[in-house]
Amino acid sequence: MIARRLGLGWLAVGLAAAVALPWLVYPPVALDIACWALFAVALDLLLGFTGLLSFGHAAFWGSSAYATGLVAIHTGLPFPVAVLAGAVVAMVLAVPIGVLSVRRTGIYFAMVTLAFAQTVYFGANQWRSVTGGENGLQGVPRELGGVDLSDPFVFYYFALPLVLAGLFAAWRVVRSPFGRVLVAIRDNPARVRALGYPVERYEVLAIVLSAGLAGVAGGLFAVGHGFASLQEVYWTTSGKVVIMTVLGGIGTLWGAAIGAALLVLVEDQLATAGFDGINLVTGLVFVVVVLLFRRGIVGTVRHLLRSRRGRGLPDPEPGVEPASAPEVEPVR
Amino acid sequence: MRKRTTRALAVAATGAVVLAGCGRGGPGGGDDEKVTGGKLVLAVLNDQSGIYADLSGKNAVTAVQMAVDDFKARHADKAVAAEIEVVSADHQNKPDIANSKAQELYDRQGAAVILDVPTSSAALAVATQAKQKKKLYLNVTAATTELTGAQCNKYTFHYAYDTWMLANGTGRTVTEQGGKTWYIVYPDYAFGQDMQKSFTAAIKAAGGSVVAADPTPFPNDNFSTFLLKAPTLSPKPAVLGTMQAGGDLVNLVKQYNEFKLREKGVDLAVGLMFITDIHSLGPDAFAGTTFTDAWYWNFDKQNREWADKFQAKTGTRPSFAHAGDYSAATQYLEAVQRAGTDNSDEVVKALEGYKFSDFFARNAEIRAADHSVVHDVYLAKVKSKAQVTEDWDYEEILKTIPASEAFRPAAESGCSMGG
Amino acid sequence: MVDLLQQVFNGLVSGSFYALLALGLAVIFGMLGVVNFAHGAFYMLGAFGTYILLDSWGLGFWVALLVVPPVLFVLGLVLERTLVHRLRELDPLYGFLLTFGVTLILQDLVRREYGVQSQPYQAPSALSGSVDFGLFDYPTYQVFVLVFSVATCVLVWLLFTRTRVGVVVRAATERAELTRALGIDVGRWVTPVFGFGIALAGLAGVLAAPMRAITPLMGADLIIVVFAVVVIGGLGSIFGSVVAGFVVGMLQAVANLYVPALSQTLVFVLMAAVLLWRPAGLFGREERVA
Repeated sequence: MIARRLGLGWLAVGLAAAVALPWLVYPPVALDIACWALFAVALDLLLGFTGLLSFGHAAFWGSSAYATGLVAIHTGLPFPVAVLAGAVVAMVLAVPIGVLSVRRTGIYFAMVTLAFAQTVYFGANQWRSVTGGENGLQGVPRELGGVDLSDPFVFYYFALPLVLAGLFAAWRVVRSPFGRVLVAIRDNPARVRALGYPVERYEVLAIVLSAGLAGVAGGLFAVGHGFASLQEVYWTTSGKVVIMTVLGGIGTLWGAAIGAALLVLVEDQLATAGFDGINLVTGLVFVVVVLLFRRGIVGTVRHLLRSRRGRGLPDPEPGVEPASAPEVEPVR
Repeated sequence: MRKRTTRALAVAATGAVVLAGCGRGGPGGGDDEKVTGGKLVLAVLNDQSGIYADLSGKNAVTAVQMAVDDFKARHADKAVAAEIEVVSADHQNKPDIANSKAQELYDRQGAAVILDVPTSSAALAVATQAKQKKKLYLNVTAATTELTGAQCNKYTFHYAYDTWMLANGTGRTVTEQGGKTWYIVYPDYAFGQDMQKSFTAAIKAAGGSVVAADPTPFPNDNFSTFLLKAPTLSPKPAVLGTMQAGGDLVNLVKQYNEFKLREKGVDLAVGLMFITDIHSLGPDAFAGTTFTDAWYWNFDKQNREWADKFQAKTGTRPSFAHAGDYSAATQYLEAVQRAGTDNSDEVVKALEGYKFSDFFARNAEIRAADHSVVHDVYLAKVKSKAQVTEDWDYEEILKTIPASEAFRPAAESGCSMGG
Repeated sequence: MVDLLQQVFNGLVSGSFYALLALGLAVIFGMLGVVNFAHGAFYMLGAFGTYILLDSWGLGFWVALLVVPPVLFVLGLVLERTLVHRLRELDPLYGFLLTFGVTLILQDLVRREYGVQSQPYQAPSALSGSVDFGLFDYPTYQVFVLVFSVATCVLVWLLFTRTRVGVVVRAATERAELTRALGIDVGRWVTPVFGFGIALAGLAGVLAAPMRAITPLMGADLIIVVFAVVVIGGLGSIFGSVVAGFVVGMLQAVANLYVPALSQTLVFVLMAAVLLWRPAGLFGREERVA
């Protein structure tokens, strides 16, 4: 009961923050926060809830950015339609990548996704008649009937419903029976397989869903900036979203959004202040979080609240394997 | 419980609608126009931490500040704006960042003009922003001919150099001087492809021929494939024309020397070279190479005077980009002075067709047709270390290419100034 | 034909770097279960170390070859002891993420100090000039790199198969529990092996200094290709990683000649093919989770 009330309280706070954001920060930065938040939440779906570290998620964010941009430029359809089209492209791309990647597990999976994302990057670079290559895809319009969306402040409020819808979808997936199977797969794939579930198929589906949400985020990003570039498919973008998720708390879903907001704000502040060494700071934050705060921000807060209330339930750190006999996993 | 949920959500939703409807007082909304007589903001957008940080970078901001100070001194009380501020941002050579930063500079910082902007992809992104925001943009440091070609617009001007000028300078001159057969190697992206086309046209026009042209991956640090191929081509090319820039160029030249291609009879012509590249590898690595430079600090007394002033402030000698930024800032300010306002359309009118000659742009004209700023350029040769008498004294100027010949004729630009 | 031969040779040279880096990566993974994202950054440090020795102390290439790898060995020991060690008991994911953070830090530190322009470094005079192979001639220095790399790989292989130390380490790598049961202290080998892997990366960096642009990001894109190489070769297999390194180098060089547009994507396409046909990699046997 109390938990639900608290949960609703947090929800209200979150919504209020989302709505008030462009008043508090420079509107284009607010839009960035919203997009990256959805992107990070999409990643957490895979990392925190399915136990798969994708180090190539930029492939989905970026391919959607390009697809959305192209649809917007060439058809003049309302931007939500373009964004949806982009998300579909990302999901279609996720199928072969997912099917091939799940043949490996754990850290191999991460390396394989990283390599696939690089393929997408080189592909986007080569296909420059479509993507603009190094120049990027310029002049992506913002259409919505006849509404004037040129002011970033106004556009934010039109983009926000899509972001919230994506976040809501992620939340529903996690709460559903499908989501429970994913968590089970994260914790003990062998047992899930023994129970008769086709583990790989669930994993691929999770990847596709995550790609779709990342696609929505990437599409909005492209429309918001009026621009889609190779940076969107580059591996540093994949790394950045992983940092956000870890910072916020793997497996907490909302932690990812908070991690995203924090990182975007810090980067903006540093850039405005003219500080030269954003990567240094990012790397340090990362190292500190991985060494000392593996639960991330939200995870640590929850942990503290739980221990204070003395629930006594086990609260293991995400993804920790018992340090017992090393498992030798059979090759799929 | 359900009532509570509904109520909470209703409050949140109402709050959202109210806030959204309540006008847009947040930063970024509202009035962008600078009141004449108030503050004028000049923005320098370039690479401050990457490969072009030495070429323009932070010292370019200093150069623009010098221009502002000199303008104020020149006009004293009659200056059109009492307060002139110089701001800057780092685009890290990325077009997406350039796109965002340009927006920010125009909106958040109230910049009336953006200067510099190296890297062709970034340069084009800023041009799109300039067009949208209807604010001025004087590019100094990027090479793409698109700025005054297919992507030209009313508020964008291109100073200093572009791929056509480079091709025409180096390509034509080297061919005329005996290098009739060429093997062109270019990085496989917009700039490289542009260069390859420009050079091929210039070489053919001068009576030479291109034996082969190969795209290389970009970026790339291993050119052995191409360097090994060069002497085996038939007919053997007299010249290897490389269109690589920055780090790639450094790599290629290193390996060119390693493979001893000059001894094998294949000379080196560099499509785009900056004095900072020569400084980076040392003159001996490039000794004897011919290239086209928009401006050289030690060309004559006038240049040297300015270079001394620059050195007093920065501790180093200026590249063409620094001088170009000074000149562009000065010409912008003078145009505002002439127009009596910083209204973009009026300033554009004051700039178009304007003829001038300053230490950077000799015999210059700001063409109305395509907004290309044409001026004299120079064919230079890299000195060997033995010939270098002082720091940065790397270039021997072979000849001056007059403004009328140096740049692409306006008729060929493909620019239609729609606005 | 001569063209092709030249290119194959060319490919073997660039494959040397892949092989050396893949070797270090495989060794570290085998022993610690950690995929060292920072491997490229240590390669970069090796190259910078070489440059610094010359620039600050006037010490040339040969000194660098002797001094830089041991220095990096020590650096590796320090890194393992202070940071990596703490994540020993956890999901290897964390080791990967930690080394990713270390990469960002190292790259930015070097960039702040030296900028992004490449630093000049010449090959040693003893290795200048070219070697005549009859059909074609080739820069001496690059021939040296190839020979030296192959020799190093062979030496490491012998180390792991013929010396007692090596056999113990290999046993600890592949059958940790069994080795422990035999009374051998596996734990004490972890740190030195990590250092050894880093030293190999540093060695590759020293070799690269005269040939490649010495910049803070020189290892960044390289490491991703090396990841693909080890997936192809089989991450658990030291032999496989080395062979895959040379093979990928050769294929890329030949592709550069005939289909330059695809040469960069090639390694990833290969990786996909290997995943479909032989998920354990060409020479891997089983997938190991630390």
